[in-house]
Amino acid sequence: MSEIQNPPVDRGQIERALARHKDRMKLYLSHCMHCTLCAESCFMYMSRDKDPQYMPSYKVINSVGVLYRKGPGIGRDDLQKMKGIVWRNCVLCTRCYCPVGVDVPAMIAFARGVLRSQGIHPDFDEQGAMESWL
Amino acid sequence: MIVASRKSLDEILGLLGSCKKVLVLGCGGCTSICLAGGQREVRDLCAELDARVRDHGGGLTLHELTIERQCNETFFADADALVKDYEAVLSTACGAGVQFVAERHPALPVLPALNTAFVGFDKGVGWYEENCRTCGDCVLGETGGICPVTRCAKSLFNGPCGGTRSEGTCEVDKTVPCAWFEIHKRLKGQGRLALITKVRPAREWENQTRRSVIQEPYKARYAKP
Repeated sequence: MSEIQNPPVDRGQIERALARHKDRMKLYLSHCMHCTLCAESCFMYMSRDKDPQYMPSYKVINSVGVLYRKGPGIGRDDLQKMKGIVWRNCVLCTRCYCPVGVDVPAMIAFARGVLRSQGIHPDFDEQGAMESWL
Repeated sequence: MIVASRKSLDEILGLLGSCKKVLVLGCGGCTSICLAGGQREVRDLCAELDARVRDHGGGLTLHELTIERQCNETFFADADALVKDYEAVLSTACGAGVQFVAERHPALPVLPALNTAFVGFDKGVGWYEENCRTCGDCVLGETGGICPVTRCAKSLFNGPCGGTRSEGTCEVDKTVPCAWFEIHKRLKGQGRLALITKVRPAREWENQTRRSVIQEPYKARYAKP
């Protein structure tokens, strides 16, 4: 793939975004007790035979968690993989429930914002519908 | 889904007036899906504005940001941090989103880049058709699932009006099917034609005030003391 189609990640931009939301996002990540109580509040999880990929905790750990673990060194492939998790697996209905107050929608929105800053986002035209992440 | 379409570049530039530093705020919700106000459309709009302004001597700085929805405060963290640096926000959300941003930042001009058209369904990619005017008094259960408020030129609750053409189109526009002719066909096919004779009280459209919905289980939570 050419560099125009697949430009390098803007590490500075990612670093600034991670730093701006660090306190809140790290607090949320550290407070997730893996209790799985959020799972059954997610209609996507319930309507997909309880596929663990649709658990709210899975979605934030594998998006925001990966962003902070890898930091600005994260690759475009990682971000592309994340696209499916934060857009296909979540519709941001904001109905998920966490007993300790982790704001899952804010975390998913943050991850989407980082992806958007790198030009990664869903398209809703014919080309978008053909994309493999769907 | 809420459907919108973009205003002309001239109208948008007129709204921007003398603003020199503008945050162009995209919406990842309905207007993104109807291909009017998502991240890609924001990019295209900025490119067009930039080109037009440059042709006339330049002087407009645009910053693009798309948030997930402009009608829910959960998604405003990044936008809130940015707006103070700009003279105006040009929003590509629906009318609700524009007002939400304007309420949140009352000191700042928040300008619509789109015209919110209707609630409708997808006919194809980039092609949408109006089906609901959110009148708040749904009669679809008695009209075979065809909305007379939206699809009848006179929005008649009791029809047809007598202006149905022989081929089943509307006297107002012969290319448009008469909603009540369609309702008659649909109800007849369902064996429920008697419903068409039911007289529905006239709807008072005037003097509508802003509507609000609180679902039953949440009424106690939002009750005013």
